[in-house]
Amino acid sequence: MVALERELSEPAAPAISADAIPLRLRRQGGTPRQVLATMVIGTIVLALFASRDLASWTERLGDTPAVLAAQKIAAEWDQDMAALGLTRPHEALRDGLRRLLDLRWGSQR
Amino acid sequence: MLFPTTHFLLFFLVVAGAVAALEQRFTAKKAVLVIASYYFYAQWDWRFCFLLGFSTALSYLAGRIIGATWDPERRKVVLGIAVGLHLALLGAFKYFDFFVLSANELARSLGLQHELPFIEILLPVGISFFTFHGISYLTDVYRGDVEVCRQPLDMALYMSFFPQLVAGPIVRAAYFLPQLARPSTEPIPIVPALLLILGGLFKKVVIANYLATGLVDPVFAAPTSYGGPDLLLATYAYAVQIYCDFSAYSDMAIALAALLGFRFPANFNQPYRAQRLREFWQRWHISLSTWLRDYLYKPLGGNRGGRLKTYRNLMLTMLLGGLWHGAAWKFIAWGALHGGGLAVERMLEPWLGRRAATPAGRLIATLVVFHFVCLAWIFFRAEDFAVARLFIGGLGSGWGEGLQQAGPFMVALIAIGLAGQFTPDALFDRIAAAFERAPAWGLGAAAGIVVAVINALGPEGVAPFIYFRF
Repeated sequence: MVALERELSEPAAPAISADAIPLRLRRQGGTPRQVLATMVIGTIVLALFASRDLASWTERLGDTPAVLAAQKIAAEWDQDMAALGLTRPHEALRDGLRRLLDLRWGSQR
Repeated sequence: MLFPTTHFLLFFLVVAGAVAALEQRFTAKKAVLVIASYYFYAQWDWRFCFLLGFSTALSYLAGRIIGATWDPERRKVVLGIAVGLHLALLGAFKYFDFFVLSANELARSLGLQHELPFIEILLPVGISFFTFHGISYLTDVYRGDVEVCRQPLDMALYMSFFPQLVAGPIVRAAYFLPQLARPSTEPIPIVPALLLILGGLFKKVVIANYLATGLVDPVFAAPTSYGGPDLLLATYAYAVQIYCDFSAYSDMAIALAALLGFRFPANFNQPYRAQRLREFWQRWHISLSTWLRDYLYKPLGGNRGGRLKTYRNLMLTMLLGGLWHGAAWKFIAWGALHGGGLAVERMLEPWLGRRAATPAGRLIATLVVFHFVCLAWIFFRAEDFAVARLFIGGLGSGWGEGLQQAGPFMVALIAIGLAGQFTPDALFDRIAAAFERAPAWGLGAAAGIVVAVINALGPEGVAPFIYFRF
């Protein structure tokens, strides 16, 4: 609250804060269509490698007929990805993390 | 609807698709963003949308009246009524029960039987943020610092824009409304935005979530069950958790706005590297600290009335800043600690200035400020005042027992979180530059893989962001 202590000799103009993404990083970029393309491709990659979470997300949505259909599709999709071996990195990372979480100091039980 | 969820990803895909389709139709794009923002807000509770709508209509109409009136007295009256209504809404939803509880406790201690009733209404998420948007717009119109917004659609988008709606950053009207006047001709900074999203996801999903569930929550729930080392590490862990949680939200909000073609101001800048408490507040929740500076500290007189008045103004600003975070004495204590700390620091400035000139002096200053901020965080995080006192009392005991709760992984997360405070600014630029010329499909694929990795590393489900409750 207290960037505060500059003298107020100047008129009290509203402080317009600096851009979070500075100008030097905004000189190059893309269009809204490129944003959409990036997002769509990222989502497809995510659907391939994080199919486990897609299935568990649909399970949390409820039990309307549409959701039940979505759950079935998500479960089948997850099985297909598992058959292709694409869920292995996800499981390996989770296993590794579990081991890290279980680490204890010598003095700890 | 939290940012790091499948639901939000699908929502944002639809919004990005609509924005891409409406590239040449700016008004339609703004209308879509307003609808999307209200849909986003309705995911918490659709009834909150009426409150947001009322706040928007109030700001718009009062702004128009102030702008159309030359009589200074009348302008002041309209401003006073509109700001009063904004504050009354905030007070009713956020503070009413706190004041009733405090009044009842006082009455009981005085032996009075009568108790005031509670209203027990649900706190609308983000109410503090959009109230501050409305107040700052009206004050700036009154001061002549911003033009009156004549387009209801622009006002609706300013008040409701979903990236910042529920937890900031607090975006000033003078900063945002001009962006709604005409479409931006700038390219969209896709790479920096993706980096902010990925960094934010890692901070929230991995660092903040594990520190919360593995160390902070259990230790703060029962501080008397742990010795000093665990309490100390839980304090550091909370400092890292709240930074990673809140700055992650800000980073993602900034990035999402950027992907939709809008600029947001910076909200965090490695706050734990500050060598002064004052500097900490120039780096932490910048949009709130500058808001309080311009709409509270300066109107109170700032540093213009001599030393004692400056200390008083600092204290009042920080006390109200604490109260802004929640209706509880622990937040007031947190604000009082910071206000007192700032006043003492100001008193000692001549002495401190000489000592901060050396590298050792700078290191000591950073350590002192960090530990003072951590001390204040104990009040902020503890369930109540009594728990905070037990927690602080326990810090000096049990040092022979070793660590019970904080394992090596937790310590590593704390170290990573603190190390992130000291990375050079140029690092982000260099990483962004490395991917600058990558094609959209390459960026999308790389981002998808990194999100999948972060998702696999994170715990099941995502806890709400800490600042949603403010």
